[in-house]
Amino acid sequence: MDFELVILIVMLGVFALSVFTFKIPAGMALMLASVAGALAGGEGIPVRHLVEGGFGFLEAILIIATAMIFMKVMEATGALGTISYAMIKSLYRFPTILIIVITIFVMFPGMLTGLSSACILTTGALVIPGLLAMGMPRLAAGSLIAMAAVFGEVAPPISIPVMIIGGGVDMPYIGFAKPLFLASFPIAVLTAVFYRFKYLGKFKIEEVLPKLQAPVYRKHGIKLFIPLIFVIAYLILEQNAVPYLPHLGVPLVFIIGAVMGLGSGEKFNFIHISRNAVRNAMPVMAILVGVGMFLQILTLTGVRGYLAVNALALPVGFKYVAALIMPFFGSAYGSASVIGVPLVYVFIGKNVIVLTSALALLASLGDLMPPPSLLFAYSAQMIDEKNHFNILKKSLLPIAASVLTALAIIVFANDLGRLLF
Amino acid sequence: MKRQIITNIVVLAVTFIIGTIASIDFLKMRQPDELYPSISLTKTGVLSDYFQGIKGTSGDTRIYYFDSGKPGASVLLLGGTHPNEPAGFITAALMVENIRVISGRVLIIPQACQSGFTCTDPFEGYPQFFTIETQSGKRKFRFGSRVSNPLDQWPDPLVYFQYPSGQKLSGFETRNLNRNYPGRPDGTFTEKVAFAIMNLIKKEDIDLAFDLHEAAPEIPIINAIVYHEKGEEIALTAVLNLESEGLRYSPELSPKNFHGLSHREWGDRTQVVPFLMETSNPIQGRLRGRTNAKLILKGVSKEYKQAQESGAFRIVYESSGEPLKRRVGRHLQGFLAIIDAYNELHEDKQVKVDNLPGYSDLMKNDVGHYLR
Repeated sequence: MDFELVILIVMLGVFALSVFTFKIPAGMALMLASVAGALAGGEGIPVRHLVEGGFGFLEAILIIATAMIFMKVMEATGALGTISYAMIKSLYRFPTILIIVITIFVMFPGMLTGLSSACILTTGALVIPGLLAMGMPRLAAGSLIAMAAVFGEVAPPISIPVMIIGGGVDMPYIGFAKPLFLASFPIAVLTAVFYRFKYLGKFKIEEVLPKLQAPVYRKHGIKLFIPLIFVIAYLILEQNAVPYLPHLGVPLVFIIGAVMGLGSGEKFNFIHISRNAVRNAMPVMAILVGVGMFLQILTLTGVRGYLAVNALALPVGFKYVAALIMPFFGSAYGSASVIGVPLVYVFIGKNVIVLTSALALLASLGDLMPPPSLLFAYSAQMIDEKNHFNILKKSLLPIAASVLTALAIIVFANDLGRLLF
Repeated sequence: MKRQIITNIVVLAVTFIIGTIASIDFLKMRQPDELYPSISLTKTGVLSDYFQGIKGTSGDTRIYYFDSGKPGASVLLLGGTHPNEPAGFITAALMVENIRVISGRVLIIPQACQSGFTCTDPFEGYPQFFTIETQSGKRKFRFGSRVSNPLDQWPDPLVYFQYPSGQKLSGFETRNLNRNYPGRPDGTFTEKVAFAIMNLIKKEDIDLAFDLHEAAPEIPIINAIVYHEKGEEIALTAVLNLESEGLRYSPELSPKNFHGLSHREWGDRTQVVPFLMETSNPIQGRLRGRTNAKLILKGVSKEYKQAQESGAFRIVYESSGEPLKRRVGRHLQGFLAIIDAYNELHEDKQVKVDNLPGYSDLMKNDVGHYLR
């Protein structure tokens, strides 16, 4: 047995033992698995590497913490409830269209930021109360917003996984709008329709509306939405390089939005809400620190290369299997960087723009996969589900459909390229 | 409550200890690499001499001037644009410590992105240092990040809009010096460094410029000389001459629509004829195995060998490895060949250098032999 495989088994074994036997939180279990991997790999306890890896997701962690504060503030002001109420009230007669609109609405922040967590933490959180009130089962609602977040990350105009792959192969981000649309919107609409018919039964609007948070628009007027408008507008403008707009960074934009929430709607205790929000986000943030350490040790000990090279060294007929490995890297950006770049060369001869768009879809599914299962971890918090793997189970069918979509785009990349360009 | 307080104290104490140990390691990377210039050195300077906006920052890197005092062309050589590509930095260091200039002058910046030498990239498992055995003993050199230290420029945007082209790249590239040319005086930290280098090229009236790089073995542009269209004749002459010496270099024309790179922006915006050279560096590759200083020096990776044998895609990797001596040797031989080709075509304005080892010298004696 290869030594790298032994290290991997040790790391996965320690993780599983910690989580399932000793009931240690996933973040801490990942850290323990990283230390065990380093020891097994003969690296001792490489403190510098563990800290460096642990800080690798610092920006994502700051975004999560600040976005959680912002969304809790929006909930407290009544803005979230008012939007959910308005959306359902205006579209309840057309439930299929309503679910499609909700799905695209959830995707929207990801389309503009290239960040799946931005979807789930903002628009995803907005629609959850409405979905539940219409009778959609909790797990299905959590699953739908997580899937929509993935599609938002892929959809144009901004797709960071494509940019990461492009950076690795020196390909500028030009001409991706149509293929990215193809890799995201059809499967998003299909997923929405599936959830509509499988999980959304008949509902009486007069029974649904009282279950929702009462709208407070009449009481506060347009100022209720000013923080939300500011955050969305700033992120859009910043992503489109509007001149003279200072680059604040996503976390600061969320914090400014949260502070603007004071006085925009219902009264609330800012300190209390902030503490609760950060406390809620803590397990997810700990997972990210642990995943960072885990990735660093995988690379340090050679396990990352071992996995990548064995995937790519599959016989020619099996090279699509290598593509299938992408989601299992547990992170869209990590997957795009580690395996997305070599895959562009594996599939050389295919239309590279269409191919990369399909690879972005496969990579983005990584945000759903364990060990971090980041998007499911978020949605679990929103639907009060303790075990986010239950949402993963609920999502297997749309995940499989997404994988098949990506594979079909890769297979027909040249034909699609001729059609699109 | 009491138990909670004890837990908090223990967590804080452990965090403090881990933080202290890691900080000591991180701070070690702030120590500059010592170079010992050859007797031909005429002066040293810093990059802020060309743009005061970076004075005193970690972008204010050292410049070595070797002026023959005789008329001829001016040459600029950059190593360390990407500090995780050590052959570029070590080639520049070796030249600083050996070069003699007979006509014209040579300016060398061994650590163009000095900020990137103060950290390594998360998730890459990179070593911080590597050691080369020299005639005077062991010398330690820093191995850094591909981009500027986030402590100098942070946070990254999600999308980087290259100035002034507006080309979109992933946010990480906003700290990549070789995506920031021509830079701007009121821009980001990295844009300011790029702007200073552009000013240097203009003020010193540089004729010929080199940017030394390395790339992962799976990247198509490898063992290559990338040239701006105005340097086509020089590049092709050099490649032919190298071929006759038994060394293959792939000539690559700089893409016109890919902005921010030295071989494009230097050539478009100044009088200089730019060249960028790439070698095959396994520690940068995504398929590499165990990541350590040995991989930098020996360049042996069983994973790359396996990937190459599988034939899944094109990989430039010698089965015996891609040692630093070969990569530095290729850069030096490429540099000398381009200088010779330039001289052939510019008899009225020549640059002549001496005392630099070539590829076969490096392969025979290794890098340390030429470092003091």
